[in-house]
Amino acid sequence: MKRELGVIIPAIADRYGVRGGRLVVAVAGVVLLTLPLWATAYVVNMFTTIGLYSVLALGLVLLTGLAGQVSLCQAMFYGVGAYTSALLAVRLGIPPALALVSGAAAAGLVAAPLGRAILRLRGIIVAGVTLTVNLGFFYLVKSAAELTGGATGLYLIPRLDSPGGMSYSSFIFFVVWGLVILCLVLTSNLVKSRIGRALKSMNVLAGGSEDTAQVLGIDVMHFKVGVYIVAAVFAGAAGAVYAHRMTVIEPHTFGAQTSVLIAIMAIVGGVTNPWGAILGATLIVGITEVFREVAPVVLGGATGAYELVAYGVVLVLTLLFLPEGLFSLPTRLRKRHED
Amino acid sequence: MEIATVLQSLISGLTLGCIYAALGLGLFVVYGVTRVLNLAQGEFVMLGGMLTVSFVSLGVPLAPAIVLAVCTTMLSGIFLYRFIIYPARNASASTLAFLTVGFAFAIEGITLLVWGWEYRSLTNFLGSSSIHLWGATIFGQAPWVVGMTVLMVVGLFFFFGHTMIGKALRACADEPLGARSVGINIEKMALLSFVLASGLGAVAGATITPLTMTAYNIGIPLTIKGLLAAFVGGIHRPVGVILGGLLVGFAEALSAGLVPTGYHDVMALGLLLAVFLARPRGLLPAHGVAE
Repeated sequence: MKRELGVIIPAIADRYGVRGGRLVVAVAGVVLLTLPLWATAYVVNMFTTIGLYSVLALGLVLLTGLAGQVSLCQAMFYGVGAYTSALLAVRLGIPPALALVSGAAAAGLVAAPLGRAILRLRGIIVAGVTLTVNLGFFYLVKSAAELTGGATGLYLIPRLDSPGGMSYSSFIFFVVWGLVILCLVLTSNLVKSRIGRALKSMNVLAGGSEDTAQVLGIDVMHFKVGVYIVAAVFAGAAGAVYAHRMTVIEPHTFGAQTSVLIAIMAIVGGVTNPWGAILGATLIVGITEVFREVAPVVLGGATGAYELVAYGVVLVLTLLFLPEGLFSLPTRLRKRHED
Repeated sequence: MEIATVLQSLISGLTLGCIYAALGLGLFVVYGVTRVLNLAQGEFVMLGGMLTVSFVSLGVPLAPAIVLAVCTTMLSGIFLYRFIIYPARNASASTLAFLTVGFAFAIEGITLLVWGWEYRSLTNFLGSSSIHLWGATIFGQAPWVVGMTVLMVVGLFFFFGHTMIGKALRACADEPLGARSVGINIEKMALLSFVLASGLGAVAGATITPLTMTAYNIGIPLTIKGLLAAFVGGIHRPVGVILGGLLVGFAEALSAGLVPTGYHDVMALGLLLAVFLARPRGLLPAHGVAE
């Protein structure tokens, strides 16, 4: 059976070739963007969440997939964007749309000095240090209760001004997926640009070398910090939208574990491909929904347990059998068929 | 400031420091031999505590319960190496680290399924009770925690310095190719390092449970503290890791004693990160050539 599938799937892929791939993307795009017109509110909300995580994971496509830096603090920048935007709107009465932009900018402003300090380090230690920084941010938000509301959260965040004739959740859905498309275009352009090639040359995860890049006249530190800031701005923007979507935020959402989860999404989907980020976010959010809602009812046991096991199993299986992520599956099958 | 407050901070600093040093030693054993950053070390500690609580509640006396818990945790360590790390042993450092993350998530989920989310505790070993000293309190379990870490350190120094198999492990750490060429089975040594780390973690978990309690989700924060200890002190030498652990412990306890509001966690973490970024190779870097 396995063998037959190994022949049939590549044969179909061959038959339709690249055109098939584009067709799939086009159909998926149309289905997705018309979602609020025909799907239930539950599904629309789920895909809004997928969109937010896609933006967060896209940051890692730049940072890890392109530049080879394993960073685990995307959730912190998500939080910086969320809290900045929310606090500006709640405490100072700044219009939410303006606050949203400030949230994204604030994440960039935090990332600049932090990146300069952390990215001097090399290798896997960066992962450990960024994770620690994320934990520090979590403590900070929790402690500064008089400003941030502490562990109980920040309430009554104003909504964005939505046009009439549309529910707020549909409006936010379009805002989020607009942001996804913007980040996707930015990411793909950056990958193909001169900057992208410079980053690729110093990607230690893809056979590059920081020393060689430096010798070739690439200011390695400059590029690394730059891409770190871009990833942070992505996350900050997503966080700001999240704050005005939920109208309540609490520190737990932006903890170290969320950073790890975002990394899992990027890895499972394929960290070297922008589409991989979206695929990974869809898969992990899908797993979360299925296992949170269905498994405890069918199998019994605590809510929240099954999805933890599923994240772990999916991550390990991906790394062992498809190290380049699910997005590399069609190419792999085709290659095997040709061999 | 009162003497009692300072004394109390020093006592809790030492206790916490010993916990983090024990975690750091587990990280060191695996990283030293295999270059894998084991982000599941905290899960071994969690498992050790949870399993001990379960065996005790089944009516097993404490000492055999700890032995059983340690053995069971070691089995999970063997599983981690044999079925997750070994098949990908030639992959990049980040792939290997994320494999341990996957294992950590799965263990956390399984623990939640089996034991639920409640915090669990044990009574103090041999019923030792709190000691009062110039206005400060030493919790009954604290001397056990310190003693456990001291024993671990002495044991590891003896093992690495004076036994054939310990020296073989060190050889793998220093020069894998050379070790292989003199007939050391590197895969076996890597497996041993995971067994050792999971065993150390489980012993630590059983010992700290009466003091700190245990639950399914304590693993990741503990791993992060252990990482901090290893980074600040220097992950390449056990002395560095122990020093790092004590520093993390004292930084936390002193800032908790001195900073009145809830900012002590942030202060301690910020201080330690600053120390690390100023000395990125650790306070006690590796001997000889730089990386």
